[in-house]
Amino acid sequence: MLKLKNVKSCFTPNSIQEAIDILKKSDGKAALVGGGLDITVFPNPIIEQFIFLDKLGLTYIREDDENIKIGATSTITDIAKAPAMQNYLKGNVKIALTELASELLRNQITIGGSIARHHFYSDIIPALYALRAKIMVSDGELIEGFFVDDFYRNDLKALMETCIVVGVHLNKYDDSFQFGSKRFVRNATDIALLNVAMLAQIEEGVIKDVSISVGSRPGPAYRFEQGETFLRGEKLTKVLTEDFELFTKSNVDVAKDMRLSKEYRQHIASIYAKEILLDFMGGVR
Amino acid sequence: MKVCYSINGKKKEFEIEAGEVLLDVLRRNGYFEVKGNCYMGTCGACTVLIDGLPYTSCTMLAAKVDGSEITTIKGIGTLQNPHPLQKAFVEKGAVQCGFCTPGTILVAYALLKNNPDPSDDDIKKMLDGNLCRCTGYVQQIEAVKLAAKMLKKGDE
Repeated sequence: MLKLKNVKSCFTPNSIQEAIDILKKSDGKAALVGGGLDITVFPNPIIEQFIFLDKLGLTYIREDDENIKIGATSTITDIAKAPAMQNYLKGNVKIALTELASELLRNQITIGGSIARHHFYSDIIPALYALRAKIMVSDGELIEGFFVDDFYRNDLKALMETCIVVGVHLNKYDDSFQFGSKRFVRNATDIALLNVAMLAQIEEGVIKDVSISVGSRPGPAYRFEQGETFLRGEKLTKVLTEDFELFTKSNVDVAKDMRLSKEYRQHIASIYAKEILLDFMGGVR
Repeated sequence: MKVCYSINGKKKEFEIEAGEVLLDVLRRNGYFEVKGNCYMGTCGACTVLIDGLPYTSCTMLAAKVDGSEITTIKGIGTLQNPHPLQKAFVEKGAVQCGFCTPGTILVAYALLKNNPDPSDDDIKKMLDGNLCRCTGYVQQIEAVKLAAKMLKKGDE
């Protein structure tokens, strides 16, 4: 079954500049290929050229004092197995990654592809939002970092015709920070219908700072800022988790009805929000 | 365009369309043990090992893996000399129609290479992307555990 009938040529550039030169000359008819999953599952008949990113040296996970730096062609498996991720935020980011899709697909999905393609409602993007990750983009000369919100506020299509996502920087957080995420999915390999991800700084039982992201397919993931305001400065107690459940149910934006009703999505999102907070309390139920 | 693979240890060169997926290239060239079904990475029937890691060949661009080592189910054992996983799948009744079996066994093979003593959860998690509509999954889990025991005893 030849889904990509119009593809006539493949390039494997040796540098980011070379890749961008090919991309710019393609008149929007070239696709950058990290793992290639999205391209084969959602084929675009406009595409006539593939630009394989394998030789750009973007498969790495490194760390310095401030960041974990992940190259764009690193797969979810690469990232989940990297030494730097094992204890990052108590290992909860690694757990979130290994719950995504199946091993077969995690071996193919790249972090760069997850960011640059259009499915930014699901799994990785909500987690990156909550983690306040920086998306590193190169035009061949300069590398610029965008927070996830800013990246998707750009004219993404235009940006991706002249630039390449080269990596992601994850801020290293001290022990006062906790991360949690939950996903609702019909089966192991499907794209999640609903994600909730949360990063919270908790000192002496008080939520000092928090970022919450919700991804609800097919709408774009977003920062649940009302929820953040609700929690910030509050003492983390079981009562607060219950209040937050009700608040989330009433205020979370779950986009459209798609395979799940709006009411059901709100219900699930509120339970996830509560459960993540309970996990932050040490799994008290 | 031309691509070159090592398939089950033998060098092969194929003419392909630039937009083709690996599954189609393999089946067109006689590797019918690689099953095609969903073309979306959902069912796992088309699983092959590429440089030792399991992938769904229906979502892998053939041109992208030019130069790679590809292993199909026939690369790990034969009818005359089956791999312990193949023996265990038969012994435990984890095979019925056989359509999902090549993919499932290859994923289990990759698991046991890295984790010779997997827990039930390890096995379940690893086989998550391989759907079976005949036997269910209990027999598969038992088969993987049996194969792990056989491999420990050196039965390969």
